[in-house]
Amino acid sequence: MLPVLSALRGLLPRGGLARGSVVTVAEFGLLALALLAAASAAGTWCGIAGIPEAGVLAAVGLGLDADRTLLVPDPGDAWPQVVSSLIDGCELVLLRPPGRAPAPVRQRLEAALRRGRGVLLVAGDWPGAQVRLRVVNQGWTGLGDGHGQLRACCAEVVADGRGEAAMTRTHWLWLPGEDGGVAVADPADIPVADWPVADIPAADTVRRLSPVRAG
Amino acid sequence: MRAHRPGALVPEIPRIMVLRCSGLCDPGAPSRLGAPSRLGAPSRLAAPGPRAAELFEQVIAAVTGFCPEVEAVQPGVCAFGARGPARYFGGETALAGQVIAAVAELGVESRAGVADGLFAALLAARSAGPASADPANVNPATRGAGPSSTSPVDAGPPLVLVIPPGRTAEFLARQPVSVLEDQDLAGLLTRLGLRTLGDLAALPAGDVAGRFGPAGETAHRLASGQGSRPLAAAPPAEDLSVTREFDPPEPLAEPVVFAAKALAEQMHDSLAARGLTCVRVQVQATWADGRESHRLWRHDGLLSPAGVAGRVRWQLDGWRVPADGTDTSDGGIAVLRLVPDQVVRATGRQLALWGEAAVSDRVARSAMHIQAMLGHESVLRPVPGGGRDFWERVTLVPFGEKTEPRLAAGPPWPGRVMGPAPGVVYPFAREADVTDEAGAAVTVTGRCVLSAAPAWLAVDGDPPRQVTGWAGPWPLSERWWDPVAARRRARFQLLTGDGRAWLAAVQDGRWLVEAGYW
Repeated sequence: MLPVLSALRGLLPRGGLARGSVVTVAEFGLLALALLAAASAAGTWCGIAGIPEAGVLAAVGLGLDADRTLLVPDPGDAWPQVVSSLIDGCELVLLRPPGRAPAPVRQRLEAALRRGRGVLLVAGDWPGAQVRLRVVNQGWTGLGDGHGQLRACCAEVVADGRGEAAMTRTHWLWLPGEDGGVAVADPADIPVADWPVADIPAADTVRRLSPVRAG
Repeated sequence: MRAHRPGALVPEIPRIMVLRCSGLCDPGAPSRLGAPSRLGAPSRLAAPGPRAAELFEQVIAAVTGFCPEVEAVQPGVCAFGARGPARYFGGETALAGQVIAAVAELGVESRAGVADGLFAALLAARSAGPASADPANVNPATRGAGPSSTSPVDAGPPLVLVIPPGRTAEFLARQPVSVLEDQDLAGLLTRLGLRTLGDLAALPAGDVAGRFGPAGETAHRLASGQGSRPLAAAPPAEDLSVTREFDPPEPLAEPVVFAAKALAEQMHDSLAARGLTCVRVQVQATWADGRESHRLWRHDGLLSPAGVAGRVRWQLDGWRVPADGTDTSDGGIAVLRLVPDQVVRATGRQLALWGEAAVSDRVARSAMHIQAMLGHESVLRPVPGGGRDFWERVTLVPFGEKTEPRLAAGPPWPGRVMGPAPGVVYPFAREADVTDEAGAAVTVTGRCVLSAAPAWLAVDGDPPRQVTGWAGPWPLSERWWDPVAARRRARFQLLTGDGRAWLAAVQDGRWLVEAGYW
C-alpha cells in the first residue's frame, strides 16, 4: 500500500493506493497530483508520462518531492513500452495515455505493475481499473468581479470502482486549501450563493465560495 | 600568500598561465570562457584553417614539455596550471619566457599571461606584448622581464604579463566591461555607466543577478576574480576512442553488446593509464547500410564495462524499434566505436551526478532505457527555481545532467502571480478570445485600462465559457533592457461557469491562456 494525503484516505478502499493496482482520475488536474504527494514525500519515485502541462510547482506545494520525479512529457507511439520501462524504475506512475489502450496492451502493463509492485494512476479512462475518481464540482474562493485573487478551491470528488471499491463515495475537499494543502471540507458550509466578497472577513473563507455548478 | 582574511572560506583559485599564439588564433572568435571545452574533438579547434590547427597541435605538444596537462581553450590559445612548473623552472616569468622560446622554434609567435584563474590569465595574455590594447591599463610594475637570453626573439616589448598572486582583482578592476564575452550585456552595462569590471564587481552580487539574470551573475563572478571554471586538461591530439569493426556485419545485438564490454574495458584501461577519466561516453554505431547513430551517455567514472555494455544494448534496441513501421533489414552493425568525451584528470572524487537525491540503480536503468528509445531529452527531471511565470519557475533537466534551476530562486521576483500554483501549466500558452457582454473583444490599453469587463472566454477552439469572476490586469514588463527578450503583458485570473479558474494574459493585443487551476 502506498500512502496518500490524509484528506484523500476516505476516497480509497483501505485508505491508500494498493500496490499492483490501477487507479483512474477522469481528467488530469490537482487531484491526480495530490494522489502522488504523500508517497513521493515518503521516498517513492514518481513518473509522470504523457502530461507536458503537469504543474510541478502545484504538485510540489502539495508534497511532491521534485528530486524524486521523472517526467516523460511525450512518450510517443511506443508509449506502452515507455510506460513499462517507467514502471520498472518508479513505483508510482501517473499516465495520460496518448491514445486508447487495446486490451492486450493494458494486460501487459497490468502484469508489469503486479510484478514491480507499483501503482499506475491513469488520467483518463482505463477499463478494469480498481478505483475510479472524478471531480464533479469545484468552486474557487477569493476572486470577485474585477478584484481579489484566487485563494482556495472546494471540490466534490466521487469515487467508485470494482470489488471492495464498488460502493460510490462522495467527498468534499479543499483542493487546495488556503494553506496550499489538501483538507476535508465540511459539506454543511458548501456552497453559499450570492456572496458579497468585500463584506466578509478574510478568515471566513467557506462563505466566500462562488456558486458551484455542475461541471 | 593572498590577502584574504585568515579563516575566511575562500575557494582556492589556481595560478594559470595562458599562451596566446598570435598567428593561430582567430581574434573574432568568442573566448568560450564559460563553456566546457570539448577535448574529445580536437578538430573543433581548427577554425583558422587546417594548417593552423596542425601548427597549434605542435604548439600544444611543445608546451606539454613544460606541463603535462594543457587545455586548448580556443583556437590558438592554450592554458595550464602554472604553480608546479614555475617552481621547477625558476619562477613564473622565467617559465613563460622558456615556453615562448620553445614555441618560437616552431615559427609561432606567442604571448603569455599569468594570473589567478583562467579568466584573468586570458586577459593578461591578451594585454601582454605590443598588441596590448592600452598599455596604460596595465600596472608597469607587474610586467615581466620579457624573453630570456635563450630566446631567438629579439628584445622588444615584453611578451609576458604576470599578475602577482592576490592582485588579480586589482588587475581585473581596471579592465573595460567590453572584455566580457556577452557583448550585449557589456553594451548595456556601459550605457548604465558601469565601464570597468571594477564598477561591476563593486555592486552586490544579488542585485546584479536579480537585474541581469544568470548572464549578469556569471559576469559578476568573473569580474570579482572568482568563477573561472577549472581547467579541463587532456593530452592533445591523442585519440582515446576505441573501435571494433565487424566483418561480416553483425546482425544480432548480443555479440555487439559483448564486444562493447571488451571495448569499454580497453577504454577504461587506456584512460586510467594516463590518470584520466571522462565525464561522458559517446557510443557510435555504423550499420552496414551506412547509417550512423550517435548517442552521448553521461559517465563520470561510475560506469563499469558492464554498464557501458548495457547502454549499448539499449541504444541498439532503441534504434531497432522501427519508428514508422518500416522494415528493419539494416544488414547489421559494421563498426562500433566508443569515444570518451570531456576528458578530465581523475581526482578520485565522484561528482554529484544525479543531483542531491540519490538515484537508485533501478531508477537510473529505467530512465536510461527510455532515453535509449526516445532520446536524451525525453526523460526530464523538474527543478523548481525562480522566475515570474509558472512555466519558467520549473527548469526541466534531461536525466543524467546536473540539476540546476535556470533562474535562481533566491532573488525576489516582483510581478509573479501570488496565491496557489496552477495544476495545469501549458508549455506553450494557448490562444484565447475574451469578449464582453456585447460580444466585442476585450482590449487593454498601454496604461492598463480595460475596455470592458470580460464576460466570455473561448480557449483555443473550446466552446465559450461564461466568466463568473475575474481580477486584473496585473501589468508585467520583463527584460525591458533587451529588445529581443522584452515582453509586456497584462495578466488576469478568470473564473468560468464550470468552476474552473484560468491564468490569462494579454500580450501584443492577443489573449493567451498560460495556466489552468484545477
